Amino acid sequence: MSNEALLVDLDACVRCYSCEIACRQENGLTFETKSRWCRVSTVGPREVGCELHLDFVPVFCLHCEEPLCARFCPVEAISKREDGRVIIDLETCVGCRQCVHGCPYGAMHFNEVTQKAGKCDLCLSRTETGIEPSCVQHCIGGALRYVGPAELRELTQGRHSVRLGRTTYLSSKWTLNPILFGSPRAEETGGR
Amino acid sequence: MKPEISCALCGQPLMTAKMKHRLLQVATEKKIKNYEEWLFLCGPCKLRKFSQRLVGDDLKKVPRAKPVPFRRREKLEVVKFAPRQQTTVYKSECFSCNQGCDAVVHVNRDGRVVKVEGDSSSHVTKGVLCSKGLASTEHLYHKDRLQYPLKRAGERGSGKWQRLSWDEALGTVVEKLNETERKYGKTGIILATGTSRGWLLPFYRFANAYGVQYTAPGTAQCALPRFTGSTLVGGTRFLENPDHEHTRTMIVWGANPTITFPVKGRAMMDAWTRGATLIVVDPMLTETSSKADLWLQLRPGTDAALALGMLNIIIQEGLCDREFVEKWCYGFEELRKRAAEYPPERVAEITWVPKEKIIQAARLFATEKPSCITIVVAIEQNADSLSTCRAIAMLSAVTGNIDVPGGNLIQMPVPVGLWLNADLALSNLLTEEQHAMRLGSKEYPLLSGKHTVSFPPSAFNSDVWKAMLTGKPYPIRAMYCQGSNMLRAYANSRVVLEAIQSLDFLAAVDFYPNETNDWADIILPAATWMERDFVTSSDQVSANSAHLQQKTVPIGECWSDVKILNELAKRLGFAHQMFDTDEAFFDYLLQPAEMTFREFKENGLIKLDWRYKKYEKKGFETPTGKVMLRDTKLENLGFDPLPQYVEPAESPIRTPELGEEYPLIITTGGRVPVFRHSEFRNIPILREIVPDLEIFLHPDTARKHGIQPGEWMVVESPRGTMEGRAAFTPGIDPRVVQVASHWPGKSNVNVIMDNEKCAPVVGSAQLRCQLCRIKKKVDRVQ
Repeated sequence: MSNEALLVDLDACVRCYSCEIACRQENGLTFETKSRWCRVSTVGPREVGCELHLDFVPVFCLHCEEPLCARFCPVEAISKREDGRVIIDLETCVGCRQCVHGCPYGAMHFNEVTQKAGKCDLCLSRTETGIEPSCVQHCIGGALRYVGPAELRELTQGRHSVRLGRTTYLSSKWTLNPILFGSPRAEETGGR
Repeated sequence: MKPEISCALCGQPLMTAKMKHRLLQVATEKKIKNYEEWLFLCGPCKLRKFSQRLVGDDLKKVPRAKPVPFRRREKLEVVKFAPRQQTTVYKSECFSCNQGCDAVVHVNRDGRVVKVEGDSSSHVTKGVLCSKGLASTEHLYHKDRLQYPLKRAGERGSGKWQRLSWDEALGTVVEKLNETERKYGKTGIILATGTSRGWLLPFYRFANAYGVQYTAPGTAQCALPRFTGSTLVGGTRFLENPDHEHTRTMIVWGANPTITFPVKGRAMMDAWTRGATLIVVDPMLTETSSKADLWLQLRPGTDAALALGMLNIIIQEGLCDREFVEKWCYGFEELRKRAAEYPPERVAEITWVPKEKIIQAARLFATEKPSCITIVVAIEQNADSLSTCRAIAMLSAVTGNIDVPGGNLIQMPVPVGLWLNADLALSNLLTEEQHAMRLGSKEYPLLSGKHTVSFPPSAFNSDVWKAMLTGKPYPIRAMYCQGSNMLRAYANSRVVLEAIQSLDFLAAVDFYPNETNDWADIILPAATWMERDFVTSSDQVSANSAHLQQKTVPIGECWSDVKILNELAKRLGFAHQMFDTDEAFFDYLLQPAEMTFREFKENGLIKLDWRYKKYEKKGFETPTGKVMLRDTKLENLGFDPLPQYVEPAESPIRTPELGEEYPLIITTGGRVPVFRHSEFRNIPILREIVPDLEIFLHPDTARKHGIQPGEWMVVESPRGTMEGRAAFTPGIDPRVVQVASHWPGKSNVNVIMDNEKCAPVVGSAQLRCQLCRIKKKVDRVQ
């Protein structure tokens, strides 16, 4: 269980926004919280190589190897667990928002209702009981998967992939760039 | 504290100077590199920047084929307790649209619905659910929900209402309808509905037992042409059931199922992921067409020419399934001749699709078998929608892809009499006189005439508005509208508004107050799918199964639509032809399965195993027992028995003078992932994803008019003007604009759409192919 991670197959994302709303339902993120832990971003429509392209990128906490949010936190409320998850201790969080600005990906949110920081914890309460995260279950395109290392290897083989923190993005079209904002270690795995 | 610092990219207020100072301090102290790149950007800008960088522009294609996505399956009890969440979980069926996706509803100890999820035990959805379904609790508990019957307490449209009891409300409706009947006869009354939520058949039954005609946008404009098309061709609505699971080649024709039809979108994407070829016919680069292996970007409204062109290539190149054609097709020779009138060069000229692509698509579809076709509404809104639907159905027939694994499947005889069942609809009660009086029955026989083949006959809506406004051919003075926001759903909204305003009486059943029931005299509150029981079976999504919907919570005094109809019937004097209770109706539906609703509730599912080539036993359900490539029914009605292409009524080619004044083709009805028709724009977590109407146009076209991306712009037609925000895409022809329908107020595109020039036989408005012009919007504060 503990070594499973999120895999995002960009080929299969269809921008249905199911992950976004599934996340809000699962985590009680009402409109008033102004917290969108999972979001789908659009790249294009654009012309590359005499072809038209329209791509969609689900974005959520990457669970960075060296999380910048944690470095910006003045009270050490953010930590990286042994299983790779970056989690917030809400008891300690003082709601200063430094982590929200400190995250390069826009994955950290300030919950306007609880006045604390919040972000994806890979549906801790689901995954701990053996159920995949809600975004994964509801993904219509089949782009989101929660997989162990063996399946991860199998799925990334022969395709372009980039591992960012605990999250692997995958494409059979774009070679994908490791994002080197600050210090999160980006590893490339196979495919290129 | 005011945020003095703005986002470096978009300029939105971001943080205070103090915060900036603190962040810089931390960044320096902890030696954080490159922080300038993101530290002073807002969340959405970071997101955009991240995704753009991640994807990059280095295109290097590798094979995508890999195992199908894992979809969790588990057996699920009808009601169970979930210890993790401390909730009672009800197995049910989401009806946020009218498809019916298996879903589970979590109810907490206080009896409140806290969450709706996909049902991972479902063979239909494999656990997925769309954004609309997942947001169901927001819909259920929305502060604006109508919870009590209301009576108008001021001028019409004043928004002043007075609460009253169901008894008083229904009493008033009955009194007004009876009064109208006394003055004008039954023809003075009309019923109306929208897409409905599973209760279309009881609605038809109600209308037919009452002896009053009804109209609906969801017939001529959606469902009826394609149901009629494939029923004429193959005796059943086989085109509704592409077997993605076993297919090798998929054509998705004028549809974007990944965002509009999750059940089909899910299956389509699973097939695509394992390597099936995807051909998409769409004028625009969409969520679905962006995945296509072959994208046919056609001129809106020319689908029939494309289908006939493909038929011609398949026949000429000898790629037909000869055995199937010889044994099971009627009129092949005539079709061959007709199709020959559409050689690739001509079709390319009509459709704007390059000849090579048309040939490639035809060959792929005919040779890389099994192949299936997915269609939805877009092909039903052009100059000859029935021909279009029939020609597409014939593609499946001549290639031998009907009812074979991986083709388009004939629905299984699920023993639940719900789907377009003439007995349930009591169509036999209709008299010759009623058939003759129905508006549109002469001109549009397969919409409004006696011999419709899919839906029971309904009135042609443009004639309904005319009758209301002019009293001709007879006056219509009272309307009962169940589940339709007519002012957004029908073409030419201005006429619809005038017509509604002219009525003596309007009763409306709905979830929310809206621009249509604003003009009503009585509003009745309907229950959503979470507040009622039901048995559902749909040949669009569950063609081999029947599913259970369970009541979880009550909201105010909302009634199920079936109950409203039953109770009205009791007061109108035909209780014996409706049902005493909802449950009595479900028991009736389940009679063929020899069980009661109570028994059905025990496991909540009736499922049949698929059988293929069902036609081999008794033939196709057509006059010849074969697939009708040449149609005798249409011929008898005086129409062309073969499919044809008709140029749109408004087009740069057919009406060049109008084309000069209105040089752009407007195609409407492209969908937004988070909304369903006119619904859900009032749900904040959905609305913030798409806050305003986006008008899609080519950057070159916009530039000519000085329109910037994201700016408000105006679209004009001879009917009027409307506006939305410009969304640039190179994925649309510079001569075309795409405007989503069903937006409220000034963004309602139906205001500028024509409803007079309709397709023959079935009367569909040409919503996908009219003419318009655009301009910059100058006076709106953004």
